[in-house]
Amino acid sequence: MTKPILEVKDLAKYFGGVKALDGVTLEVPERGVIGLIGPNGSGKTTLFNVVTGFYVPTRGEVWYAGERIDGLNPNEVFLKGLVRTFQIPRLFPSLTVLENVLLTPPRQVGERVLTAPFRSKWEKQEKELARKAVALLRKFGLGEYVRARVSELSAAHMKMIETIRGLITDARVYLLDEPAAGVAYTTARELFTFIKRLRDEEGLTFFIIEHRLEVLMDFVDYVYVLHNGRLLSEGKPDEVMSDPKVIEAYIGR
Amino acid sequence: MLPSFDILGFLVSWGTFLGIYAILAISLNLEVGLTGMANFGKVAFYGIGAYLAASLSVYTVLAVYHVAAAPYTTEGIIALGKYGGASPALDLGIFAASLMLGFIIAGCVGYLLTYPTLRVGPAFLGITLLAFGELLRIFLLNYQPLGASKGLSGIPHPFLWIPDPVLRERLYVLVVLGFLAVTLWFAERITNSPFGRVLKAVRDDEVAALCMGKHVPRVKATVLFIGSGMAGVAGVLLAFYMSSVNPNMFVPAVTFNIWAMVILGGMGNNKGAVVGAAIITFVDRILTFITPNLGITIITPDYIRWMIVGILIVLVLMFMPGGLVPEKPIKTPAWEAVESLEKESKEGGSGGGEA
Repeated sequence: MTKPILEVKDLAKYFGGVKALDGVTLEVPERGVIGLIGPNGSGKTTLFNVVTGFYVPTRGEVWYAGERIDGLNPNEVFLKGLVRTFQIPRLFPSLTVLENVLLTPPRQVGERVLTAPFRSKWEKQEKELARKAVALLRKFGLGEYVRARVSELSAAHMKMIETIRGLITDARVYLLDEPAAGVAYTTARELFTFIKRLRDEEGLTFFIIEHRLEVLMDFVDYVYVLHNGRLLSEGKPDEVMSDPKVIEAYIGR
Repeated sequence: MLPSFDILGFLVSWGTFLGIYAILAISLNLEVGLTGMANFGKVAFYGIGAYLAASLSVYTVLAVYHVAAAPYTTEGIIALGKYGGASPALDLGIFAASLMLGFIIAGCVGYLLTYPTLRVGPAFLGITLLAFGELLRIFLLNYQPLGASKGLSGIPHPFLWIPDPVLRERLYVLVVLGFLAVTLWFAERITNSPFGRVLKAVRDDEVAALCMGKHVPRVKATVLFIGSGMAGVAGVLLAFYMSSVNPNMFVPAVTFNIWAMVILGGMGNNKGAVVGAAIITFVDRILTFITPNLGITIITPDYIRWMIVGILIVLVLMFMPGGLVPEKPIKTPAWEAVESLEKESKEGGSGGGEA
């Protein structure tokens, strides 16, 4: 594996007496597709929330591309190059698909209130971004939805657009929270094929929470298993799946 | 036979109120309709502007003419009447200074109020602002230097040096409508820009906007600064038109009246806010003009006005849920780029198909 782009060192997050995360250390290599699994309440989403700046950790560190990022706000984490998606796609319903993508690039000239009224100052940038956005949507077969409202899209398309809108920025790492939840088996496989394609063609890194192991295990390079806020097991998919501790955590009491 | 009705006089009076309230409605629409911040304290910023204009003008006039009396005493009010129209430069200067300070001070108060409220959630913002408005009104009701319950009067009209009061009012309505035009232009421009896109994103889903790298608290504080500043300007325009202010002009009902305008006109549409303001101020003015002539004594125009506004809102929301002028998609040059791309690919596509 190549050098890690995202590193989590002895990370802990306590909510009162509840130890949602209790000393987790893991790393995500550049251009990796890494899984994060574990039973409900094992701390997967809490880990994502700490990494993306929603929570300040009780203990430990988060490093991204050689920079310490724990304690930053979510918007600052995004600006560093980490994109996060949610279990239920969180697109903006009153904007079109194109506008959802156009919203993403940071520090746009027309987003400042004093330049916004003067079209000539940002028109060129806006048109360039629009061409880039259309090209991206077409590349992934979504060209016909440029003008569509988000509410007109299927769940799978929403999930794809959530990821695509990060591509218009320099974001390198994508944290996906259950991308296959709520879609049919074949659609889930299509989504993971899409993720692989993004890794191969764009050189992106993925760190994925997923409950549907039958889909996940065919696509990931490496898996971390969380249980009660601690790392239970890690390894290649087949190693993890045959680990008796993992089987016990998932099936046994 | 209908009693005599001064149509031009009515239009001037309606135009002035329309202008002032449309500025308020546009500012509320920026906050509520576009950014999703429920501002139940709009009247506070309106009041700040009005009281700023009132206190600045009366104290300046008294100081310039070396009158020792306070502005709320009988001597003070007589002195204000005597010296008010004496100097055009002074009157216009005070007017200009009030407008600028009204925008900045009301805006800054709005900006500062976001600091404790934005971190606790949207419902708290509305209630905190509502409470702030009432606190301010009760403070004014008891603060003697600003006239306490009697308020301040004798505010010199910016055109007081013009002898003809009718001409004075006609000039003033043009000034007010000029400010409305600038406000509408500015609001439309920022709505149809990448900034407007960020506002709608914040309204739709704050957390997702945060995840897309947008500094949500700063965006909201900026909008509240602008919205409050606009309300401050409206307050300044009101104070000079009425020539007096008192705390009872700034009760919470004023806020809800502005909400009614935005709901009626269409949430999220600046032009709708103007339409809503036009309708409600029209009902208000026509009742004020007509009722004395009809000799109705059982019921006051105030009650009729509230009933009409209520019925209008119910009817509009039943048949046009988006308001009279519903929200429109954002128009930025991005769509021009998309259209030219679509044209290219259509030509390219058909060419490829034949080959």
